[in-house]
Amino acid sequence: MKKSLRLLLVDDTESNLQQMGAVALRLGHQVIVARDGYEALEKYQAERPELIFMDIMMPRMDGIEAVRRIRALPGDTWVPIVYYSALDNVRDIVRGLEAGGDDYLVKPANLRVIQAKINSYARLIALQDQLHASKVELQAWREEAEEQNRLGHFVISRLVDAEGLRDPMLRWKNIPAQTFSGDLVCATRGPGDVLFLMLADAAGHGLHAALTALPMTQVFYGMAAKGFPIDTIAKELNRKLKELLPIDHFVATILAAVDIRNQTIEIWNGGNPEALFVAAKGDIDARWPSQHMPLGILSPADFSGATETFNYHRDGELVLCSDGVVEAEDATGQRLDQDKIEALLCASPAGRRCAALERGVLDHLGDRRNHDDISWMVVDVATAAGPARRLPKPGINAGPVSEWRMELAWGPSELRHLDVAPAVLGFMGQVEALRPHRGPLFLIVSELFNNALDHGLLGLDSRIKRQEGGFERYLEERSLRLARLTDGMIEMRFHLRLPRGQPVLDIEVADSGPGFDYAFYTSRPVDLDDLGSPHGRGINLVRSLCAEVAYGGHGNRVQARYALQAAAELKAPLP
Amino acid sequence: MRIHETSEGNVSRLALEGRFDFHSHRDFRVAYDAILARPTIHELEVDFGAVDYLDSSALGMLLRLREKADASGKKVVLANLTGAVKQVLEIANFGKLFNIRA
Repeated sequence: MKKSLRLLLVDDTESNLQQMGAVALRLGHQVIVARDGYEALEKYQAERPELIFMDIMMPRMDGIEAVRRIRALPGDTWVPIVYYSALDNVRDIVRGLEAGGDDYLVKPANLRVIQAKINSYARLIALQDQLHASKVELQAWREEAEEQNRLGHFVISRLVDAEGLRDPMLRWKNIPAQTFSGDLVCATRGPGDVLFLMLADAAGHGLHAALTALPMTQVFYGMAAKGFPIDTIAKELNRKLKELLPIDHFVATILAAVDIRNQTIEIWNGGNPEALFVAAKGDIDARWPSQHMPLGILSPADFSGATETFNYHRDGELVLCSDGVVEAEDATGQRLDQDKIEALLCASPAGRRCAALERGVLDHLGDRRNHDDISWMVVDVATAAGPARRLPKPGINAGPVSEWRMELAWGPSELRHLDVAPAVLGFMGQVEALRPHRGPLFLIVSELFNNALDHGLLGLDSRIKRQEGGFERYLEERSLRLARLTDGMIEMRFHLRLPRGQPVLDIEVADSGPGFDYAFYTSRPVDLDDLGSPHGRGINLVRSLCAEVAYGGHGNRVQARYALQAAAELKAPLP
Repeated sequence: MRIHETSEGNVSRLALEGRFDFHSHRDFRVAYDAILARPTIHELEVDFGAVDYLDSSALGMLLRLREKADASGKKVVLANLTGAVKQVLEIANFGKLFNIRA
């Protein structure tokens, strides 16, 4: 359908106006007339014509001056102006076009030529209208997208920020390829002071990758805070992502638990580059290559949460990174591969490796922008636990409490896969008065439970751990015996009492095993700094946290008394 | 990325050439959809011999292909994995899901 245009005809000769006007009206256009340059300027501003035919020689203001003034007015659409004048010398034509005119017709022109000119400009104007509409639409889209980006950035940056990322042991970096990073770094301390880390790299980059990884933060922080082991966290993350994501989306992930007290680093790596433990002297003491598929691909039935644990004996740094580091390309397309990264880390002095990695990556990229998200985490791991890492004993009683009891017991099938300490602490967390004590209680419950399981039921000797490579052998033997366990029982009793109005929690753990020579352990003094031997360290810790610890039966029963208020008043003997 | 298709008996082969990344999404899907629609084809071999780069969205496309092929009872084989391509597939442990042919 042809659009009707508003035509402005400017001429001081009435017959010209009538002739031109008749042609325009016949073609279905609207006609506005002006009889000199001044009037043309007024009508132009008042009536917004879309096409102008302009005579040159007119009283008051000539056509060329009118065109110059029209072109000087602000406006974002182009209004074609065609001179229609008896002047036919080249100088006038050039002057007219240079003043801002688009075309020149010499009077008198054949009416059919005028008609064809109007039609030709009508087509151009229709095209321009279309372009303009697209431009406006695009502009609106762009503003909308920018607004959404701003909001997304605001919300996501708050969702991924956490206090744990400011842990003094940790340094990290996340360099997104676009506004949003599909790489996610998370860190927090578990209730037993274990440092939990997660470095996740969602397929693709930009907002859709950031959205893919986002559900992981809640699962990770929630479960780490409750002290779940990383194999359980990996399983839950995989289940959740499998449920939420379309088939072609997944998240390459490294989960790590750094346990300073036991000097262990446990890792689950699905789809990320090798995690490294670089000793202070610059050798690589341990590596964790990817053993699993990224999260969100396998069904829960096919998924394995199997982790690899390393027992470190000297200071060093744990380095985790996403594949954006390995695949960073320089100006010639050369990748910064794994070997170069390792050389970089080993050559740099201890404590400066995060900075060295950053410099190495940025130098390699040069002026190039990274086409994938890049992130890494470097954890300072020391063999000697500094004084800051001692557990603070909460001094305040959080609220009123009354006497209660709880008794739990598990057989082999449950012992194989239940995370007992987080489950028990999950309940304790509901009791308001116990909430500030979660850290110490978590350690006491997990130590006593692990002793009952490892030594009581599985018959493992912790002296194995003292031999070269003994820790890894101990874990191997443990999972073997646990898989073969056919009978046995562990019982836990919790009794909150109020002797003389002072709340204490009695914890009793008993196993159906043969027991052990407890006199040896209990005769030794409490000494948290006695970290030379992994043997007996756990029970020393329990004794330092409890008012009293006593063994019973034939060494298959232990009772610990934890005071909810500061120590002094606990002189009552255990029942 | 360029895709060359050949068929022999009940096996079809897609030989890929160049960078296999999110820009290849539509071309790759059109290519395998056409093959999976043919009832005589039992196996689809993806030849990576001339691929010099593979990103995570390419891995996603392979997962999608696998799901579609499973649904129509066809086998997917990844062939000629070398260099960086092999490394990316190994890190993602895709050997656990796909048939790999050296």
